[in-house]
Amino acid sequence: MGRTLSSTTQTFLQEEGALGRFRRALRKSDQLAFDELFNAAQQHISAASYASHLLPFESMLLAMLLEEHKEVTRLRQVVNELLEMHA
Amino acid sequence: MPEVKGWLLDLFEDPQDDVVLYLIAKKGQRYRLHCDFPITFYAMGSNDDLRALWRFLTTQTPRPILHREKRLDVFSKQEETVLAITTQKSVDERPLFEKVAHTFPYLTYADADIQLSLRFAAVTGVYPLAYCHAAFDQDNTLTYIKPLEEAWAILPADIPFRIMSLRPDKDPHHTQPHQLYVDVNKYHFTFNLQPEHGLLINLNSLLIRYDPDLLLTDWGDTWLLPHLIELSQKFNLPLSLNREERKDFHWQKERSYFSYGRIVYRGQQVHLYGRCHIDRCNAVLWDDYELDGVVEACRVTALPLQLSARSSPGTGISSIEILTALREKILVPWQKQQAEMIKPASELYLADQGGLIFQPKIGMHKDVAQIDFVSLYPSIMVNFNISPETILNDPSAKNLVPTLGLGIDNSKIGLVPKALKPLLVKRITLKTELSCIKSWHPLRKSFTRRASALKWLLVTCFGYLGYKNARFGRIEAHQAVTAYARELILRAKEVAETMDFEVIHMYVDALWVRKPGCTSQSDFDELLQKIQEITGVAIALDGIYRWVVFFPSKQNAHRSVPNRYFGVFQDQTLKIRGVAIRRDDTPVFVSQAQMQILNLLVIPPEPADALPEIIRYLKHCLHLLKERKIPLEDLLVNQRLGRKLDAYSTLPAAARAALQLENIGKHLRPGQRITFLFTTDKTGVYAWDLGTPPNPNSIDTAYYQKLLFRAATEILQPWIKDEEDLKRQVLEYEEQLLLPRTPHTHPISHSKNNLPRLANTSSKSSIAKTANIEQQSK
Repeated sequence: MGRTLSSTTQTFLQEEGALGRFRRALRKSDQLAFDELFNAAQQHISAASYASHLLPFESMLLAMLLEEHKEVTRLRQVVNELLEMHA
Repeated sequence: MPEVKGWLLDLFEDPQDDVVLYLIAKKGQRYRLHCDFPITFYAMGSNDDLRALWRFLTTQTPRPILHREKRLDVFSKQEETVLAITTQKSVDERPLFEKVAHTFPYLTYADADIQLSLRFAAVTGVYPLAYCHAAFDQDNTLTYIKPLEEAWAILPADIPFRIMSLRPDKDPHHTQPHQLYVDVNKYHFTFNLQPEHGLLINLNSLLIRYDPDLLLTDWGDTWLLPHLIELSQKFNLPLSLNREERKDFHWQKERSYFSYGRIVYRGQQVHLYGRCHIDRCNAVLWDDYELDGVVEACRVTALPLQLSARSSPGTGISSIEILTALREKILVPWQKQQAEMIKPASELYLADQGGLIFQPKIGMHKDVAQIDFVSLYPSIMVNFNISPETILNDPSAKNLVPTLGLGIDNSKIGLVPKALKPLLVKRITLKTELSCIKSWHPLRKSFTRRASALKWLLVTCFGYLGYKNARFGRIEAHQAVTAYARELILRAKEVAETMDFEVIHMYVDALWVRKPGCTSQSDFDELLQKIQEITGVAIALDGIYRWVVFFPSKQNAHRSVPNRYFGVFQDQTLKIRGVAIRRDDTPVFVSQAQMQILNLLVIPPEPADALPEIIRYLKHCLHLLKERKIPLEDLLVNQRLGRKLDAYSTLPAAARAALQLENIGKHLRPGQRITFLFTTDKTGVYAWDLGTPPNPNSIDTAYYQKLLFRAATEILQPWIKDEEDLKRQVLEYEEQLLLPRTPHTHPISHSKNNLPRLANTSSKSSIAKTANIEQQSK
């Protein structure tokens, strides 16, 4: 039982852990945003795993961007709806 | 010449008669037949070495038959010239092989250490418990034997076993039993274990009168049979446990080993000759598939019944592969040494992956269908011809494994697909039959159990493909299977999304999908059909959930985990994964409470509406706990001892309980289970098998309360804020309840240094001694 390489989930947690000092030096409000970014990236671990990129952190950054873009799209839609309501 | 039609109950080697067979005749008689059975093993090496071996073998007595022949080696993928060494009798093979392997250790050997029943099945087609036709001469020498039924028959003829069940009145590892219950031929007998003399005489007379084929016991391996054999020797009274009179019993020692990341304990075994003994407490997966499953596994694996009952599915699948290899004239390696193919790190990164596991959408989802590929991994092996010898390290091959630089040689069917196909077909047929059999039908139970035995064999076959010590394991074949699996589930996802289904979750071979308006089975038929067309693998609807909840991680409520969920199907059945109720170390009190909460959640159309009733129920549970009205048996925790006691640096609860048993001379091995209660005294635990029940007032009710809240929160997560929120709602009358508070330093944090001076001791005796001192000082 065992794998030659660590799983993407393990790599994800290691990368997150490696940024612990970065996180610690952030303001509390920024720490919350930082955690949200990683929570967002965690949703796409399986895609990162399937991609098997040699630099998994790049996949994680892309996953964060993906979730950010989803949020931007959602907010844009809300704004448009509000604009239409008040037009 | 006499002939018989019946079932092969047992076969074994005998120094005098070579191979002895016991048959249950269709007409009721029992036959003991025998025959000489030649065995061949093979040696490979340089011509000079093989010549030296030849010369050596010509000096041996009895002299084996030698000849050169060509046989397929799956790892070199070509026919090798081998020296075939045949002993005239089965009993001569082992000593000769040991001598040869010792004298010529540098040669490679094949077909050298194979179960007799597998060799017999390969040559004659007759496997253990096969219905067969045999002929024999006047001195019972077998002259002819032929199977009348295949191991793959869906409705094999019923075996008219004569079964005797033996069961002590109490668990002998917990407390001293006083009586022995015997059931045979619809009669029930109760014998007192004292006086021992009378017990032996009575039991022996039953054995002689009913001459059972099968002894089904509770704790027969670990207590009953050793006890009876000891008594028989002590009083010098006969006890006809064996049918074969001149044979002694076959004892197999207890052992602990690692399997799938955890330590497993197998108790000592007592095998009989001419009669089979199965200990229900020591048989593998007995609770899951009982005698029907054991018989099924025995038939398809061709392992003797007693061995099959106690072997893991891994041994079973290995036996099926060996049997196929023997039939196909493929060399079965003796000690396999197969290294992984050399590959760049980038390829290893792509290949070293398992199945695709998604992160589900956290929370409750309604009208979700779960669709599962049917036996995905075995189907991939069979459909795509994945076997150690069919994998080509050639990126330009015609048939390529998705994403990996490996090809597949489809010019002939590989050994593994050949071995698995009938097994897979049989399981799918049984499952299909099951879906048509009414719940009251007598065949239903038997079919379910047999399908379960086959399921475990199929589940294991994938692991064995990647296990380096498995006879026909090859890591590249294992990686090819997972690569196909990822490809197929992604294709299924793409099909579902093309048809406007939302994919809530994916887990290796299953998808959870929904689409507004799709609420009945027929709404998903087209999806299933399209996925099957695209992937070539059968996929079935597991069910449609009224609602299903995917839980977040316990550490971070914003992160999802793939394998913790529960839901209720439209037919009101529950599916639960990864919560306390599914864990085998959860006390009955806690798992019952969790089950009741689930049952309450299912009642109203909106699960949230059940919360007030659940709160009332939890209050009731806590009241019972406080009043100490929960039976101690329901508070028992059952855990596996992970290592030897002296290997712990900090003693967990299970180890502390094991130490208490060590003190009274009950030694536990790693992997063995220990049952205990959490108490408020110094050690924090009370081992149940100490014999005397503990003081009910010493039970750590606060700890059980904690377990209860944890289990309830686990289930109620979508409808409550957190555990504290639930506690606030339930414990509004906490002060009136007056539950004992959890001590500041809970016993669970005991380190070795706080307990008997174990850290500096290594021997068992010193552990016992220190534990003794501890008790005396109390």
